[in-house]
Parts: sequence; C-alpha cells; structure tokens
Amino acid sequence: MSIEPSDLIHGEAIAQALEMFRLNIPVEVLAQCPSTNALLLERARMGAPHASAIVCENQTAGRGRRGSTWISATGASLTFSLLWRFGSTVSALSGLSLAVAVAVARALEAQGGAQIELKWPNDLLFRGRKLGGILIETLSSADSTVAVIGIGLNVRNAPALGDRVGHQVADLREAGALGSRNELLVAQLLQLSQVLPTFEKHGFAPLREEWLARHAWQGRRVRLSGGGHQEAEGEAIGVAEDGALLLQVAGEVRRYYSGELSLGLA
Amino acid sequence: MDLRKLKKLIELVQESGIAELEITEGEEKVKIVLGGQAPREVSYLQAPAVHLPAVAPAPAASAPATAPADEGHAVKAPMVGTFYRSTTPGGKAFVEVGDNVQKGQPICIIEAMKLMNEIEADHSGVVKAILIENGQPVEYGEPLVMIG
Repeated sequence: MSIEPSDLIHGEAIAQALEMFRLNIPVEVLAQCPSTNALLLERARMGAPHASAIVCENQTAGRGRRGSTWISATGASLTFSLLWRFGSTVSALSGLSLAVAVAVARALEAQGGAQIELKWPNDLLFRGRKLGGILIETLSSADSTVAVIGIGLNVRNAPALGDRVGHQVADLREAGALGSRNELLVAQLLQLSQVLPTFEKHGFAPLREEWLARHAWQGRRVRLSGGGHQEAEGEAIGVAEDGALLLQVAGEVRRYYSGELSLGLA
Repeated sequence: MDLRKLKKLIELVQESGIAELEITEGEEKVKIVLGGQAPREVSYLQAPAVHLPAVAPAPAASAPATAPADEGHAVKAPMVGTFYRSTTPGGKAFVEVGDNVQKGQPICIIEAMKLMNEIEADHSGVVKAILIENGQPVEYGEPLVMIG
C-alpha cells in the first residue's frame, strides 16, 4: 500500500501549524513503535510534562481496551497519544472518555466529516461501522491524575482493513473528513486542548448534550455484556452527567459504567 | 452492601487474624468482630452520611492511627468500575498474595468507560489478601487489596 507523498506525517508541518494556533503541544513523530500509549505512559511515570503527544506511523502492538489489538496499516490510519495532567483525583474524571469522543467528533467535522456518531462510551461510527476508537490509561495519586489519551482513526482503505479486523469498519474519506493526516492531527489536538480544560473545570455535564446529539443508538434496543455484571438488555435512553450509560430495563432506569455494548435483537 | 461482599469480608477477617474490621461505605457501616466464643459477629450500623475524601489524607500526625500497621492496610478503589488483576485477559496478574510490593508498584486496574486506571501500592509491604475477584465491579472506596 503506497502513501500519497503529500500525506506523510511530517513533524515540522505539524509544529508550524500548532504554532500558528498558539498551541504549545510538542509532538514527536515516530516511524514505528509498539504502542504510543505504552510509550507515553512510561514517560508519564518518569515525570513527563503536561501536554505532549506522540504520533506513530506504524504501531506494532497497538492497544485497544483490555488487550484487544488495534490494527492499523501503514499510511491508512492516524494513531497518536496525548499526555494530559489533571489537578484532580481520578474519580473526578468520570466521563473523560466521552468528553474526548466529543472532541474527536468535533475535529473530524471541522475537517469536513459528516454523520459521525458515537457509541457508548467512546467509539466513533460512520453508518454503523467503526471509524476509530479511544483508549485512556491513567495513573492517579491523592490529588492529581495523569491521563494518556490514545486515539486511533481509520483514514483510508477501511474495506481492506475490515477483512483483518473481522468486523465492518469505515474510514474518514468515506465520512468526508478529507484533510491530510497532518491536518487531521492538528485539528484533533486543537479540539482536545479546548475540551479538556472545560472538562477539568466542569466535568462531562456541559458536553453531555453534544454527546447525545451524536448518540448512534439513542432509543435503540441494546445489549451490554461483560463489565462484571450480568448481561443487560434494554433501551438505550442516553448517558448521565458522569458519563454512565442509562438503560431502561424492565421499566427501570439503570446506570452502567463498564461493559461492551452491541445492538440487541429488535 | 451485598451478601457476597460481606462473606468476603468475613473470610478476610478470619484469614488475616485481624480482631476487628470496620468499613464505612456511603451511609452503610459494617463492623466485623472476631470473637473468642462466637466465631464471628457482624453488626450493621446506620452511619451518618460522611463522605470520605478520594484517598485517605496523608498528614496523619494529629490523627491517631486506627489500627497498628502490622494488621495490614487496605488499598481502596478510587473510582467506580470493574476490577482487573492483569492488563490483558488471562495475562499475568500484577500481584499475588504473599508477594512483596514496593510503594508505587502497579497492583491492579480499574476500568470504567474505557478509562483504565492503574492502581499503585500506596505502601511497601506484603500482599495479605486480594479482596475482589478479577472482572468484578467495585464501588468507590471499596477495599481492593490488603498490604501488611
């Protein structure tokens, strides 16, 4: 698979664009690494400063939730991680992954994307197929938390990728987000640098309406499995102000914090 | 507090040799006393709604310690979520009972909404007990691992 010459990830172009927006986030570009999240987490442990990012052309051991592998093909995806330090405990960060999903969706829309929907807690969908995912790993102490926010997006050639990942995927080109990967990355960092401070100050509540406006399965019958509780099936009626999934089960509204969501039988 | 959790706590008290264990969770308070005659006594008390800080406050100079250090110290859940003992399903557990751990060493993970929070040992010592089964839900402030 060849990369269009104009779409190489280019550290200098990214730095220039970020400077234009007065965004002070150093971005390191790597040709190959096992996992940008793992690398940044290791640096966080060593005291890496607030707001730095790593973007990698070829992740050899990309991580999804609970060890599921994130598969990306060279040039066909954009995978990066952002280190962000919060002056609050991890319990105050409830809903962070939904807030990040709002930032990612906003950035894609700024790049021309349309009909981008969210699946709880933070998958990005286009026409029901997965466009990208987010994995957040945190280290917390008594009064602060460092978060490593990993984002993976399919940029092009998703059908070819679909065979390898075993389920239907979509890509940004189909969804109308046509910027180069450098532009897409800068757009992501811009939105994250706006959303994360809002989140730190006010939590997920002010972003909730925006998340719900993009909710893929609002009112649909869904099934939630794993997460340490019995499998639940009910109507997805939205999300709470702390990001919990709200399901109407047997006439009662229940809140869930973990689990894999899928569409239930109608 | 459900029966499963109570049973686990009782087992913990029996195994650890702790004479008395008292846990406050929201408005519920449970006190388990290991008696000489009766094998155990469990009392349920309605506690006033006292909200504990996320993590036990560090400056303890003025506060008398509630238990001698050798009875072990509970590492508590800083958030609601699912408890995992390893980074990947079926992977090697961070710690096992009897392991020596250093302060700052990762001992488990709590996941909620695809946010994986690594929990570190807040004391150096020996892992006395792992109170939660892998993959089970935990509440805020729930004891996870005893380090003594």
